[in-house]
Amino acid sequence: MHEMSVALEVCRMAEERLGPGGSGRLRLVGLVVGDDAGLEPDNLSFCLDALLAQPPFGEARARLQRCGGDVLRLDFLEVDDGDPDH
Amino acid sequence: MAIRTIDVRERVMARNDELAAEVRRRLAGAGIPSFNLVSSPGAGKTALLERTLDALGHELEIAVVTGDVQTQNDAERLARRTTRLVQAVVTGGACHLDARQVMESLAAIDLERTQLLFIENVGNLVCPASWDLGETAKIVVMSVTEGEDKPLKYPKMFREAKYAVLNKVDLLPYVPFDVERALAMALEVNPHLRIFRTSALTGRGMSEWLDFLRAQARQAVEA
Repeated sequence: MHEMSVALEVCRMAEERLGPGGSGRLRLVGLVVGDDAGLEPDNLSFCLDALLAQPPFGEARARLQRCGGDVLRLDFLEVDDGDPDH
Repeated sequence: MAIRTIDVRERVMARNDELAAEVRRRLAGAGIPSFNLVSSPGAGKTALLERTLDALGHELEIAVVTGDVQTQNDAERLARRTTRLVQAVVTGGACHLDARQVMESLAAIDLERTQLLFIENVGNLVCPASWDLGETAKIVVMSVTEGEDKPLKYPKMFREAKYAVLNKVDLLPYVPFDVERALAMALEVNPHLRIFRTSALTGRGMSEWLDFLRAQARQAVEA
């Protein structure tokens, strides 16, 4: 029910981690969500994908990994550093 | 294209919990017990607070923070029962209060002049269970017009709460509510739950509730 609040917090954490101008390079957000975390994974994915499609992001998606317990963790961020030859 | 993975491994609630710890530290430093009232919509949180402010407002300095998705109706109701500022938080769609909102509310409250703080959360038995606000304890309010099995349907909330209030007991002659069954279910989920039975409308059962609050305020100062 509070999936949007959680999604907003995940986006805040990603922005903080990537720094100014870094959010546009984000491609994938990895989360670990426990069965007892009080969240509906499909709803959370929907909220995250909606937010990650908007500025300052653009092309990022969310990937949720389920587990037992009440874990709710931002596990990793995948960023595109561009063409290494340029 | 060079894809790089950044390991984060950070709890999503970490920031909220840091703020909650700061709220808890400030309130403890000021000797203020704080209670986060949670319930489904319509269980009588606001009515219970109205009755409490009427009864204790002349002997204890009580501050209140209210949370609602829309409107400041609850805050306006409570403001009519106290001379103290009632802080209204309109969440604008969010289904719960968070620690940042409580922290911001504290800035407007004269803590040195406060002996007891109530936080009336958004009516919802799911989401507020997951958000630590820095309170002394959560108090879950249920009423006899609801199903007896609320504790089993919403176990996380009843596990997170330290106290429960069974409200609207004046309606017991008119509704098919089995008190003993409801209490047994609540204690099955949380055997340590202390349960009050009240009618905020008639005042029945309020004396035990009020004595509890007086004792909490006294103990917080002594601590």
